[in-house]
Amino acid sequence: MISGTGITKTYRQRGNVLGGRDVRALRGVDFSIPKGGAVSFIGESGCGKTTLGRIIAGLETYESGEIVIDGTPMSSLRPKRREAEFRKIQLIHQDPYSALNPTRTIHQTLEAPLALRARRTGRPSSWVDDRAEELLSLVGIDPGYVLGRYPHQLSGGMRQRVVIARALTVDPEMLVADESVSMIDVSMRLSVLALLKDLRERLGVSVLFITHDIATARYIGDEGELYVLYRGQVVERGLTESVISGPVHPYTQSLLSAIPVLHGLERPGRERVVPTEALDERHADSGCLFARRCPFRTERCTAELPELMRVEEPPIGGLAPLPEAPGAAPHEHACFHPVRRSVIPEEAA
Amino acid sequence: MTMNAPRLLRRSRPAGTVSGGAVPGGAPRPDAGPPPGVRVRDLTVVYKTPLGELPALGGVSLTIDPGTITGIVGESGSGKSTLALSLLNAVQPPGRIAGGSVEVDGLGDVLKLKGDELRGARGRHLGYVFQAAQNSLNPLKTVGKQLLDLGRSHGVDDLAALVRDARALLERMGLDGARVLDSHQHELSGGMRQRVGIMLALVLNARLAILDEPTTALDMITQATILRIVREVHKERGLTTLMVTHDIGVAAEVTDRLAVMYGGRVVEHGPTMDVLGAPSHPYTQGLIRAIPRLSGDPAEARALPGRPPTLGTLPTQGCVFRERCPLRMEVCETSAPLPVRREERTVACHAREPYASAAGRGEHA
Ligand SMILES: Nc1ncnc2c1ncn2[C@@H]1O[C@H](COP(=O)(O)OP(=O)(O)OP(=O)(O)O)[C@@H](O)[C@H]1O
Ligand SMILES: Nc1ncnc2c1ncn2[C@@H]1O[C@H](COP(=O)(O)OP(=O)(O)OP(=O)(O)O)[C@@H](O)[C@H]1O
Ligand code: SF4
Ligand code: SF4
Ligand SMILES: [Mg+2]
Ligand SMILES: [Mg+2]
Repeated sequence: MISGTGITKTYRQRGNVLGGRDVRALRGVDFSIPKGGAVSFIGESGCGKTTLGRIIAGLETYESGEIVIDGTPMSSLRPKRREAEFRKIQLIHQDPYSALNPTRTIHQTLEAPLALRARRTGRPSSWVDDRAEELLSLVGIDPGYVLGRYPHQLSGGMRQRVVIARALTVDPEMLVADESVSMIDVSMRLSVLALLKDLRERLGVSVLFITHDIATARYIGDEGELYVLYRGQVVERGLTESVISGPVHPYTQSLLSAIPVLHGLERPGRERVVPTEALDERHADSGCLFARRCPFRTERCTAELPELMRVEEPPIGGLAPLPEAPGAAPHEHACFHPVRRSVIPEEAA
Repeated sequence: MTMNAPRLLRRSRPAGTVSGGAVPGGAPRPDAGPPPGVRVRDLTVVYKTPLGELPALGGVSLTIDPGTITGIVGESGSGKSTLALSLLNAVQPPGRIAGGSVEVDGLGDVLKLKGDELRGARGRHLGYVFQAAQNSLNPLKTVGKQLLDLGRSHGVDDLAALVRDARALLERMGLDGARVLDSHQHELSGGMRQRVGIMLALVLNARLAILDEPTTALDMITQATILRIVREVHKERGLTTLMVTHDIGVAAEVTDRLAVMYGGRVVEHGPTMDVLGAPSHPYTQGLIRAIPRLSGDPAEARALPGRPPTLGTLPTQGCVFRERCPLRMEVCETSAPLPVRREERTVACHAREPYASAAGRGEHA
């Protein structure tokens, strides 16, 4: 179980004559990822998804807040111990083309971290090759075929599997997949998603899935949760299916409305929401961060900052909520005027 | 040229602010004529590789009706950009157009054009936005200066009118035209750069617009805006538009025709709604089943078996899709299926040929 509270991160941008400007990449984010669970972060470019993913993987510093791994607050540890804890969390690079060293065979790529691990744990060196083959089989590729090859001889989908196999060499508890399937051709995207789902189910590995392709978040297994980020704030979250089929925050609705409709297979949702302006991060931060672009804003929205709150029962708007399983993540939002809207495409008759 | 660029750009600014009335930039100049149709026949393009010359397009035939928005979809390496470049006769070494023809109404066979004739046709008749256009503006010059360069290279006499048209087009696409013309690339967001690319493609009044991945690397919301603009400008200016994209959703959202490419062939072509709603080629069927969707049961989606071909692994005879095809037959090993047109749909697959065996045809995945 990995959780965080109140994570904030500001990037100082220097070089400007006026002394630079700060980018508030994360403004107090809470999250919790259960063992074997799946959490997806979605949102527009620059909303802070990668920053949060890198912080969770221990690759980026943060100013305030706390990250707790298996009950241990990270701030309580010395750097060396902290590093060891963060090794349980492995980041999968988004670009399978640049993630692998082109001058090394797949065997060499897997051998290095496995040999290190063998030395640390006192295993015989024969274990290294056995384990490499085991991991490749686990990610669904034929070790005989790939071990001797170089990355450029493999397809994008195979390369991404190798990248995942390499992340698995350290027996992680969690994989952080940052846009890991976006670069892969559609015909093979599902198989990598199925692999992530399979690793959850078979090894109990949890998955933090970062994407701008919202539909893919539905394919990494049941009971996944979706976090919608906007300018460094979580504006809506809940079970992936609840948020996608019954979004209440106007920003989530805008994102879902923007997904192209497969005319011929689908009809557009009846209440698609279009933001009134393009994203411009330079605006003042008083009130709701989405207020400038929100078609539904009222005076209250520019005066106060809405905090995450539970979607109220009985259901708001015209649509009934999905029944909440006991113990499941509650559906929450940060909006003063939450209304369920039917924005995603419907099946064409 | 007696007038300097800043003065030209400034002078073209109207005295008042843009307000009400007919949308400038919506319609092309009156001399423009009807939108052109395009007929591609047996187009073969090869690239020189260490393994010899290999075909990236293996005899493509495609008829694009005037006034349509046609989507060219297919996975990475299927030959989409090569096809788009061929329509401009702009394939660069190590590539070479090895055969075929590209007839464009009002221009003739583009593959026969040379030198000045060809340069004149590009821009004036054939507007294009290359893949990765976001990064293809000159970083050292303002958009306005690049526009003037474009005008001069095409012998435009009235540069002030050109700047006016450009501003009107940018404003039509929701941008502050004057500001954008004064900006350098780095001062514009990705979505703004794409719109600048579309403006540069259309400002010389081209009626055939070729857009290669116009929304790749843009945000969902910005992408939706650009797609809406493409559709509107297409309609208002009376264009024939070709949109190349690897994203079927993007094509579905804007196009009325869809051409599906695989391994350097167009395997299926027809009205977008029909192709998506009732795909006929086994590849199109598999591809559509593999798209992650917002609704429906995720468990029903299926990845396509096998992997996409590369130039080196494409079979030299028979059907290019057969390694991954659930309907493959003996004839597929040796003979490449030819495109067969039935009503509005053209499909290149032995199992869909009128005389195909009942077993092949009856299947419906
Ligand atoms: N190293 C850095 N220095 C300065 N600013 C940064 C840095 N990294 C990120 N930022 C800024 O922080 C914000 C969040 O960036 P982040 O990369 O986390 O976004 P993202 O949601 O992953 O976007 P994308 O979808 O484009 O990958 C952005 O405004 C970005 O410009
Ligand atoms: N300059 C080149 N030299 C050698 N091969 C090339 C060259 N350009 C393209 N190819 C090959 O030709 C084939 C078609 O490439 P093309 O760029 O047309 O594909 P595409 O469908 O546009 O792909 P993408 O979706 O990646 O843009 C590919 O196999 C590609 O590797
Ligand atoms: S709080 Fe107001 S401005 Fe913000 S999303 Fe809700 S309605 Fe829109
Ligand atoms: S021609 Fe044969 S192998 Fe090719 S798609 Fe049709 S049935 Fe499949
Ligand atoms: Mg990112
Ligand atoms: Mg391309």
